[in-house]
Amino acid sequence: MINQFLTRAWGQASSLLGGPHARKRRWVDAVVLLGLAGLVMGLVLVAREWTVLQRPKVEIDLSPLALPKYALLSFARAAVAYAISAAFTLVVAYWAARDAWAERILIPILDILQSVPLLAFMPVVLLAMVGLFPHNNVGIELSAVILIVTCQAWNMAFSFYQSLKTLPPELDEVSRSFGMSWIQRLRWVELPYAAPGLVWNSMVSVANGWFFLMAAEAFKLGSRDFRLPGLGAYMSAAVEQGHGRAEIYAILAMLTLVILLDQLVWKPVVAWSQRFQMDDGVRVEKSRSWVLRLLRRSALWRRIRKTVSNLVPARQPRPTAPVEKPMENPMVRRLIGSLMLTLMLLALVFGGFKLVGLLGHVSGTEWMRLMKAGGASLGRVLASTALATCWTLPVGLWIGLSPSWSRRLQPVVQVVASFPSSLLFVALIVALKKVGVSLFASSILLMALSTQWYLLFNIIAGAQSVPTNLREVARAYRFGLWKTAWKLYFPAVFPFLVTGWVTATGGAWNASIITEIVQIGGQTLQTFGLGAIVTQSADEGNIPLLAASALLMAFLVVLFNRLVWAPLYRLAETRYSVNR
Amino acid sequence: MSAPICELRSVQKHFPGSRGKDNRVLEDINLKVLQDEILCILGPSGGGKSTLLRLLAGLEPPSAGEIRYHRNKLVGLNPGVAMVFQDFALYPWMTVEENVRVVLRARDLPEDEVKEKAHQAISKVGLEGFEEAYPRELSRGFKQRVGVARALAVDPEVLVMDEPFSQVDALTAEALRAELLDIWQDAERNPNSIVLVSHSIREAVLMADRIVILSGNPSHVRAIVPIPLPRPRDSRAPEFLQLVDRVHDIITSAELPDVEVTAPVPGRVPEVIEPLPHVAGPDIMGLLEFLEAQGGSCDIFQVATQTHVPFESVLTTAKAAEMLDFVDTPKRGLTFTPIGLRFMAADMDKRKDIWRAQLLQLRLFRVVREMMQLREGELPKEELLHEIAQRLPMEDAEETFGTLVAWGRFGELFAYREETEVLTFE
Repeated sequence: MINQFLTRAWGQASSLLGGPHARKRRWVDAVVLLGLAGLVMGLVLVAREWTVLQRPKVEIDLSPLALPKYALLSFARAAVAYAISAAFTLVVAYWAARDAWAERILIPILDILQSVPLLAFMPVVLLAMVGLFPHNNVGIELSAVILIVTCQAWNMAFSFYQSLKTLPPELDEVSRSFGMSWIQRLRWVELPYAAPGLVWNSMVSVANGWFFLMAAEAFKLGSRDFRLPGLGAYMSAAVEQGHGRAEIYAILAMLTLVILLDQLVWKPVVAWSQRFQMDDGVRVEKSRSWVLRLLRRSALWRRIRKTVSNLVPARQPRPTAPVEKPMENPMVRRLIGSLMLTLMLLALVFGGFKLVGLLGHVSGTEWMRLMKAGGASLGRVLASTALATCWTLPVGLWIGLSPSWSRRLQPVVQVVASFPSSLLFVALIVALKKVGVSLFASSILLMALSTQWYLLFNIIAGAQSVPTNLREVARAYRFGLWKTAWKLYFPAVFPFLVTGWVTATGGAWNASIITEIVQIGGQTLQTFGLGAIVTQSADEGNIPLLAASALLMAFLVVLFNRLVWAPLYRLAETRYSVNR
Repeated sequence: MSAPICELRSVQKHFPGSRGKDNRVLEDINLKVLQDEILCILGPSGGGKSTLLRLLAGLEPPSAGEIRYHRNKLVGLNPGVAMVFQDFALYPWMTVEENVRVVLRARDLPEDEVKEKAHQAISKVGLEGFEEAYPRELSRGFKQRVGVARALAVDPEVLVMDEPFSQVDALTAEALRAELLDIWQDAERNPNSIVLVSHSIREAVLMADRIVILSGNPSHVRAIVPIPLPRPRDSRAPEFLQLVDRVHDIITSAELPDVEVTAPVPGRVPEVIEPLPHVAGPDIMGLLEFLEAQGGSCDIFQVATQTHVPFESVLTTAKAAEMLDFVDTPKRGLTFTPIGLRFMAADMDKRKDIWRAQLLQLRLFRVVREMMQLREGELPKEELLHEIAQRLPMEDAEETFGTLVAWGRFGELFAYREETEVLTFE
């Protein structure tokens, strides 16, 4: 039916486009076209939204019909931020992997940035950006995008850098011995090799981005409203007006967005990136994607690809045999590299001086209060991690150890995990308050809610990696469930658990910023903690205190990583690694 | 005789080693790659054979000396050389065809020519029909065919191969060798010459016009043996076997000289210690067991052929057993010493005692024991590494440490715990 209609409507043009294989699957082409049209529509809508003058108050239309627009706006922000993160990843990671000086400076910086709770800097960034663009929404939009980029870029850059560094030497030798230029090596060797890691980290990054975006879209500082039209703001408006049905609409919309993204983007990309898996004898289960299958069959898609590749101009053949093509003039490269590094260092030093000046304004008693608050928040972070471990350890082991259950549940877990829990925070706090749970306790619960997935993922992965022969030993010698757990499963999962803890506590710190203090209607709810102080000081315009508290939080996290997680990690690596 | 294609003149190569010391791999190499010849390189494992190939291909610059290609000093990649790698080194995300095409595209050839040449190379090695396959779908023999096709595609004057048949089974290797000879014998076409690193003497005698034997640490050219046999060669012909024997003798006399290895040479500087051959304890035991099964004496190369262990490994193991004074190696023979006989007759506890006593005959282990006694039974790895690096500047300290720990643990001379990185007394 549809095919017939399409043939009529499409007629000659399509046979021009399609070639001999075009007869089948014309409806696929229609879908591809519709997708493209939707994309263009969305971009136009977003561009219009971003140039609008700042309104005194964001008007959120709570009708469900407005939801697609808000979802699209949120999606556009996430997409722009992801594009920036990807560009950053390519440039910085390549630079660090190729230039020894840059490596020595950039990699430690990246390492710290990826472990610091960046949400603590949201108020700072927001105030700065609004100051830059006081008359329209661009400032708030920019700060949301910057915020998402700062939570996405580091782990992606790290992954790419690591891939570049661990490229098997023989593959690199082939590319050198046959004289590939640096751009050819990047395209044919390095990017393909890095692809699986990049795809995986992109998924994690985008999920993180949703968490930050939902927080940013619903952000208010005291009386000032910095909300942005999007799902986050929709939700917060619904909570404020006590509009229960709208809350559910928002959650459903977000869920739909996450599922669509999973089905239309991640599944196909993961299935496609499997061809870049190294051939090291390990058979992983093949991921399949119906979208990718359709695309591969789509004649239009083939045609587009071919046209694009024909557009690339043919190169002039080289008359001589290859010489190793240097990137450019090495002197010039060196010079540019060191210039950029020097500028960066200067900026750091300058910023450092400014900060020290600022921190001078914070009194001793205030520091004491900050320390205590830091202790309280740390306690809450650890409590939430412990809480999450309690349920994820048995459940994760159960899922991971049973192939049939992991096959069934893992996709579900993946989708649920990329649902940004920050969307639910305010609604849950209100609900818990009605039942009589104080913010002190409910913030622990919410932290656990947002970080449990890191643990669950890692435990599942750990359980899956327990060697079968060791499990058979436990069975053959009749260890029993309890002894098997203690002697085999817990030790085997331990390295993965540590990785999970590191990420989970990092996430919990971020959550502390938005769970320790909330504005509901005209009312401010807060509990004692560093996260609350960060937001509060931003609200009061107390810049020195804001700087001090944000920095203290970053410092606490780094210190905790170095003193607790790093030794645990080493222990896990040397003692409990089953693959060594 | 026409001019050589490539020439190495007094080439040296060292790599930056641990603790700022250079790790010297090749020393004073003089070698010509002539027109129309197959040159085989033999030598102990880790002895710089692969490094030599990489120098020739221009992947690594020599530390001293120079490499010439048609009389011109080589800077950067060697334009007349294409390399075939030991472990195939195929890009797993490209099909067979793409793997071949990509090296042609790297030369910025027009697309038609890329396709044409790739097709020619693929059909030359008999891979037609496999164009769309991914490397992971292919057997090792076919993977290496792709490696050869990729190298042939760029039409090299010299084909350089790094143990190309060591990763494939014996039968496939046989077939690949014959195919390679066929391709090379087509005088009209490149490759003009082949340089082949090998771990099998038989393979070398079968293929080569000349065999280059490397030995020593750092490696130098020990001998160049011409193989004047006409092709096709019969590996059971008496002349063939004679040549195999001769090469055997040259290698054994280089690796296991008939003077006692462990005997202290009078007047030698006392600081110098014998380097350890990097062999695991069980390998030495295995060799001794094999020797016992053979009635207490046998030919070293008999061991290699019967156990299917590469002969370099057998040689290093024999060297280790000789160092511990368990065996003697008169010429190419292998016989038990009285200690060796006693060791084989003993039970496990007794064996450990003998092993320990023999270890303490070696200066390195005596040094370790002294250091441990000085530190009251606790010797950090770091300190020992430092000592090894000073006393054995030519050796890789980490590797020596590994061997030392393995031997010492077996003799219950000391215990070592990886987490603390400390040696302690048992």
